[in-house]
Amino acid sequence: MENIRIERTDRTPEVNFDFTDNRFALRGESYPEDVPAFFGPPFSALEHHLKGLQTGQVTFSFEMIYFNSTSAKVVMKLLGLLEETAGRGVAVTVNWCFKADDDNMRELGEEFGEDMETATFHMCPTDK
Amino acid sequence: MSFELFEEETRIIEENRGLLQSDMLPESAIVPFAALLGHYERLLKDAKRLMRVSDRNEQTLQKTTQSLDEKNSTLERLSQQLSKYLSPQVYASIFSGKRAMTLTTERKKLTVFFSDIKDFTATTDDLEPEDITFLINDYLTHMSRIALEYGATIDKYIGDAMLIFFGDPETRGVREDALACVRMAIAMQRQMMNLRAKWTEMGYARPFQMRVGINTGFCNVGNFGSEERMDYTIIGGEVNLAARLEGVADPDGITLSHETYALVKEHIDAQQGDSITVKGIHRKITPYKLTGIYKDADEKNRFLRAESEGMRLFLDLDKLDEGSRALAIREMEAALARLRHESRIQDGEPLPVGGHVS
Repeated sequence: MENIRIERTDRTPEVNFDFTDNRFALRGESYPEDVPAFFGPPFSALEHHLKGLQTGQVTFSFEMIYFNSTSAKVVMKLLGLLEETAGRGVAVTVNWCFKADDDNMRELGEEFGEDMETATFHMCPTDK
Repeated sequence: MSFELFEEETRIIEENRGLLQSDMLPESAIVPFAALLGHYERLLKDAKRLMRVSDRNEQTLQKTTQSLDEKNSTLERLSQQLSKYLSPQVYASIFSGKRAMTLTTERKKLTVFFSDIKDFTATTDDLEPEDITFLINDYLTHMSRIALEYGATIDKYIGDAMLIFFGDPETRGVREDALACVRMAIAMQRQMMNLRAKWTEMGYARPFQMRVGINTGFCNVGNFGSEERMDYTIIGGEVNLAARLEGVADPDGITLSHETYALVKEHIDAQQGDSITVKGIHRKITPYKLTGIYKDADEKNRFLRAESEGMRLFLDLDKLDEGSRALAIREMEAALARLRHESRIQDGEPLPVGGHVS
């Protein structure tokens, strides 16, 4: 599958899906005008790819600064998909990166992490 | 490729609707199952609605924040322009909320600086208005820069005159304020020499000469005027005295009142002038014409000074060569002998036999 690289804008995050190395990342802010239109194609490609995996390692990094409620639903769907993938025996690692002084992102990460039973969930505070 | 945010929830509802319509459920489970499914459908509908409401609220908040940011930067720009009409300290104390915008004043000991240009009208008579504007702005720009550098509060420009003071809204203590004022005045006069050279070079035949008067005393400082239009300024007899001292100052000179002189005398050289009277002030005023300032400790060690009623001592050790030092010693010893002699007479002691006093 062809890798997906979408540059970030004021309203949309950087999307970096490397299907060859199974490394995926979302970075920046997310409050697109049309959430399904923005996330639809990369999400569907990822879903298709992950459903085809039975073994191996997958790493997904969230480096979000801000996202709106609809984008939060996308994040939850992604985490659900990753947890489901881990449930099939794939070694899934989720990195939740946030600025060390961003309490909101820290708390969200802690909540999301609680739902991840099979995938490995890392909280990654950064100074940047 | 379609992307439905609630794809899974929708699928669950559709599957269970099918289940409800089938005959696979036992009779007793149909009613509670239908109720449960109904609640699930309503929850999903509510979740979608809440998400939309939340997104709209966030969008409104973003727009409000953006509009507030724009208003803030407009206000910041305006206040920066407004700040040019105020002394930086006054501006800072207003914008930090420390100073109330009410008609209140305080009585404070301030050092007041008053300056003007000697014979301004006569000097500028032959000049075009554009030239006068250039000269006065050039002059005031340089002087104001020096004033701010020394931490002064610029009260106002009155044509070619400047009223500046030290001690409010910030003070380093009365003595330090007075010294800062004197140092500022000297820096200004030094700058005037540079400006005069520049103006002469530019072709102005009669470049400005500044006169300065400095006084220290209690003034009323604060907001004067009306609730609609007020000025942060100082008033009082001590302000008038600074202006009067400026009037008796030499061109390019700085004249201090005795009050200021007493505060800074360790650091300066000054020549006492004839007493003057000032309207509104009952005491006689002794002006001191500034003749020099000690820059540092070495220079301070160079001079020996003492002053009291009926006595003034001044020694410039650098200027005394071997001969003049011997002469100074003789003079001082003679003075000492005379003083001791006077003391003995006053104490009723007998004079020494053969005693001689020059």
